[in-house]
Amino acid sequence: MKVEERQSIRVGADVGGTFTDVVLIDDEGRVHTHKVPSTPPDYEKAVLDAIEQMLGGAGSKGSEIGQISHGTTVATNAVLERRGAVTALITTRGFRDVLELRRIRAPQIYDLFFSKPPPLIERSLRLEISERMSADGDVLVPLKESELPELVEKLQEEGVESVAVCLLHSYAFPRNEQAVGEFLRRKMPGVPVSLSCEVLPERKEYERTATTAVNAYVRPVMESYLKSMRNGLKGMQIEAPLLIMQSAGGLTPEEDAATRPVFALESGPAAGVLAAALTAESVGGGGNIITLDMGGTTAKASIIEGGRLAYSPQYEVGASLSAGSRLLGGAGELIRAPSIDIAEVGAGGGSVAYLDSAGGLRVGPRSAGAVPGPVCYERGGTEPTLTDANVVLGYIRDGELADGEVRINPESARRAIRDRIAGPLGLGLLEAAEGIHRIANARTMRALRSVSTERGRDPRDFLLMAFGGSGPVHAAGLGRELGIDRILVPPMPGLFSALGLLFSGVEHHAVRSCLLSGDSLRAEAIQKIRDELSTALLSQFAAEGFQADEVTLGGSVDVRFQGQTSEIRISLEDGVLLEAGLRAMEERFEAEHERLYGHRSDPDNPREALAVRVIGRAGARGLPGTLETARPSGGSAPDRQAYFGRKGEAIGVPVISRGELTEPMEGPLLIDEYDSTTVVPPGTKVEVDEQGNIDMRIST
Amino acid sequence: MIETDPITREIVKNALASAADEMAVALYRTAYSTVVRDCLDFSTSLCQADGEMIAQGVTIPLHLGSIPYAMETLFAKFGDDIEPEDVFILNDPFDGGMHIPDIIIVKPIFWEGERVAFAVTTAHHLDLGGRLPGSSACDNTEIFQEGLRIPWLKLFRRGEADESIFTLLRANVRVPQMTIGDLRAQLAACHIGERAVCDLIERYGKETFTHCAADLIDYTERLVRAEIASWPDGSHTFTDHMDSDGVGGPPVRLQVTVTVKGDGLTADFTGSAPQVRGALNNTLSFTASVVGLCVRSVLREADVPNTAGMFRPLEIIAPEGTVVHGAMPAASSMRGITGFRLVDTVFGALAGLLPDRVLAAGEGGNSLIIIGGQRLEGAPYVYYELMSGTWGGRPDRDGNDGLCNPANVASNIPVEQAESEYPIRVERYGYVPDSGGAGQFRGGLAVEREWRLLEGEAHLAIRSDRRLHPPYGLYGGKRGTPSNTILYHQDGEEVLPTMVSTTIKAGERVYHRQAGAGGWGAPLKRSPAAVADDVRNGKVSAEAARIDHGIVVAEASGEVDEAATGTRRREMRSNGDAA
Repeated sequence: MKVEERQSIRVGADVGGTFTDVVLIDDEGRVHTHKVPSTPPDYEKAVLDAIEQMLGGAGSKGSEIGQISHGTTVATNAVLERRGAVTALITTRGFRDVLELRRIRAPQIYDLFFSKPPPLIERSLRLEISERMSADGDVLVPLKESELPELVEKLQEEGVESVAVCLLHSYAFPRNEQAVGEFLRRKMPGVPVSLSCEVLPERKEYERTATTAVNAYVRPVMESYLKSMRNGLKGMQIEAPLLIMQSAGGLTPEEDAATRPVFALESGPAAGVLAAALTAESVGGGGNIITLDMGGTTAKASIIEGGRLAYSPQYEVGASLSAGSRLLGGAGELIRAPSIDIAEVGAGGGSVAYLDSAGGLRVGPRSAGAVPGPVCYERGGTEPTLTDANVVLGYIRDGELADGEVRINPESARRAIRDRIAGPLGLGLLEAAEGIHRIANARTMRALRSVSTERGRDPRDFLLMAFGGSGPVHAAGLGRELGIDRILVPPMPGLFSALGLLFSGVEHHAVRSCLLSGDSLRAEAIQKIRDELSTALLSQFAAEGFQADEVTLGGSVDVRFQGQTSEIRISLEDGVLLEAGLRAMEERFEAEHERLYGHRSDPDNPREALAVRVIGRAGARGLPGTLETARPSGGSAPDRQAYFGRKGEAIGVPVISRGELTEPMEGPLLIDEYDSTTVVPPGTKVEVDEQGNIDMRIST
Repeated sequence: MIETDPITREIVKNALASAADEMAVALYRTAYSTVVRDCLDFSTSLCQADGEMIAQGVTIPLHLGSIPYAMETLFAKFGDDIEPEDVFILNDPFDGGMHIPDIIIVKPIFWEGERVAFAVTTAHHLDLGGRLPGSSACDNTEIFQEGLRIPWLKLFRRGEADESIFTLLRANVRVPQMTIGDLRAQLAACHIGERAVCDLIERYGKETFTHCAADLIDYTERLVRAEIASWPDGSHTFTDHMDSDGVGGPPVRLQVTVTVKGDGLTADFTGSAPQVRGALNNTLSFTASVVGLCVRSVLREADVPNTAGMFRPLEIIAPEGTVVHGAMPAASSMRGITGFRLVDTVFGALAGLLPDRVLAAGEGGNSLIIIGGQRLEGAPYVYYELMSGTWGGRPDRDGNDGLCNPANVASNIPVEQAESEYPIRVERYGYVPDSGGAGQFRGGLAVEREWRLLEGEAHLAIRSDRRLHPPYGLYGGKRGTPSNTILYHQDGEEVLPTMVSTTIKAGERVYHRQAGAGGWGAPLKRSPAAVADDVRNGKVSAEAARIDHGIVVAEASGEVDEAATGTRRREMRSNGDAA
């Protein structure tokens, strides 16, 4: 199971809704890339085909592959498309509607036609059992085991393929839940059983139930997907470990991902941020990076501080992008599982530009998607999109893109923007296109602000790393808006997530709810929980072939002022927590509280600890100093007319490739690549650093 | 004067909305009370220098219209005495506030010595003293029973806190740590709003900012007027009732006539009941908020900025001395229920004008359950739960089963959290089958919940409604089932009134069931498959399916029995049930 240290071929495969990106690093350290259309519903096909072709290209055999790291949206898609297993839920008597009642909240106000997403497990498959624990662990109603056989009968009758069990207070007192689980596993050996105390031992029944329900719902789908993948790999004599990217940014063995798929739902976006984090040390700036991943439909932002990722305790799958309120929620399936904190807005190349009834210019969140796509693709699109605007502005080249996957006709883009936007607004064509570009930036700013200023972080203390197909086009303008003077565009920006997969390590998280305050908030109490969680994690790593000394453990505690709504996660710096360490932790909490909210609360206000968390990591590799690509870099191209500045004219702008940027230069420049263009506005200095990043310095 | 182009305006609009949301996130995250943290009963907004609102966070809609009234009285009182780093505080409903529990905090924002904007936050506080824990009680009969009354005061003068106000507050509330904590959360949010506005001015310049802000209000007005102009001119009157006046008195009549003429709309509440004895009296500002909310909700354009421009096309007529506009010393702490019922009333009138935009009546608003007392070790506690809600059937789809009222953004309190932090046990929580009004599109199911007190003795205050006047159906849809409340004690059970203040003892249980929502359209038009789904899921019994919808579902297979259904539906039609 263990990741081999020998110099062997490694593969990273990132499967998205539209494209599957596969990168392979050969035994000489050269990176091969392959971008192919995804192959739903058999997503593994594109991956397997790509690997076969790339092995052929590199003249290697399947047996030489030492590791495959994989980011997949298979589980997410199963939720979005409601294609999961027939799933049942067992709850404490009196509480079977908890899953469907959710937190009662509607995601948007003023919308009388909002409908709650139908529950993943419908009411007829939510079954109750007589039992009840109190919050203190008293048995109020003993588990009525005589009800269990009838329960199993009902599950079999209904053809249930997967079962979730979530009983009240099982996060701390799991005895009844475990007993139910044991019985079901014994009587229904082929049916996977997800226990809430195993998936998410945290207080709050809806959050725990929902997370366990999603896990159960996608489990058979993930299991069969990984099995097909494994069979396909075997067919190519590939016996290497298959590691799956989790939402929290670490890899986990395929067996674990099959059992707890809910931790791997946000696999793809996580990999890109992780790749940025891996480069954090080498790019300077104290490892403070805001990432921007802008593709066809969305722009995603995340923050890396001192090389550390920011985590979000929960998120929703399937929430519509226009319901982007971080307060309300309720539009999608709630998952309370650690994930990299990524803010998302509906602004990407396919975002549609239109005029509202009062003559306001809007961009997105509606997207023309891949079909019909931007007008300039000439695949039937009639409404102008952000990509059309970028083509009109001269930022994106015409002709063939990405090995001929896309052909761009600038004349159709011009016509669409002239007819639908510029004309009605009485603006010039270039002004209108620039307006669309800037409004998309303004929308994207909401994501960037929500990971920075909304968290009390000043963007000016960060550098911006932009990737995804549209990220490098918008990076300089966004950097200026944020007051960020340094922008990096990594090599292969369109394949950056796949690249991140190649260098990530294995990671496991453990958490336990507690409620420590006053006299019970003592260093020993926290230390005891941490030790138990650490021991459990180390034995999991041992089973995967890692020695204890290869595993790095990091602890943290969720702290809040007593009675407050939201906790702040504070890391535990020392291996052994003494009272002095506890004081230091409390001081860090208060400092962070002041930073986030501008005040420290009353000095006499007691603090309380809600949960202890431990993260274990092993087997990560830093990104190498340079990445040598097997793909030849493009030759020089003629100048292109591009528009900068609000009242000016388009000007002739030199077009170069990344490889041609051997000396520091100054914008205006357009750096064309395989699947993206980096726009360097006038006055911006640019060079390529030792890692191959395009490094722009904006004069402020 | 700088020209604002549509592009810059859109950018500033995004930035302002983002700033108001940032304020809301800060307030929410640092708040202490369950009212703020789980019920989200608060709002954040930004106003331009003259007090007109330019942005509101995604927070409780019913605060939307209150800001203009508050700002007007602030100016009347302080005029030019508004200086940098001042902070103002208000809750007095007779000085521009809404009701005692809602504290409004306003911070003026200055740029180079000149006032450019205001950051405004409103939060419902758990307790501000008064007769009973939680301050709010339906049977308060004058404002002096409802807790500490704060007219407009300077809480901070040029950055210096007026400690005497804090001292007075601490001495008058039951859980000072929580009240002060939530107040600090409001101050933090104002601070964040101030920072965001200054950032914006730094980037775009003061001229552009002020011009864009004013323009944004005009733009909002244009959007709303354009849409109202597209509606047919006409007038529709609708009447609904609350069961009681809060002190056991008779039902309270609420009436509105909505008139659409050209690009303007008038809501005339003449005909509504006189001011009532209990704490159900609205301020004019709250009644105006209701109209704004209802009109905003039926607009086709979803992305209307939340600015003062929303209210310009609206005229509100609400005579003073009535339940929709109380006069001194009217009690108002529980006026939320009046607001909810007015929402039903205004929607009812709009349904007559815009049949395809309005839903049948929902549960009728939150039920409030407040349990307050002392823990065994002596610490006071107030457990404050807003139970909510379910939606009426809609012109093209069923009502949502179990979802907070569209006039609100409340959430429930997790059972495990309640039981960990309070001497309370929740015995059950779920849907009530057969409670949604029949219709082509069924009304949402009622929600029930039951609490057991575990320690000592406690005050219990309940505010509910919709027992004598269940939620209405529309266009042939049937009404929902009535609400109910039962107290289980040693000697048996007792049905409690909809609005009540009493005491309970350890071991006793309180059961509350909200009303089921009304249906939309004739039940005979309901799709048989939808009924079969409801029967399979135990949301509708086979018996009710047959009686109400004329659908016979075979018990064994769960499938619709076509022949028996045909017979039953013919029988119903011949009995005069509309098709």
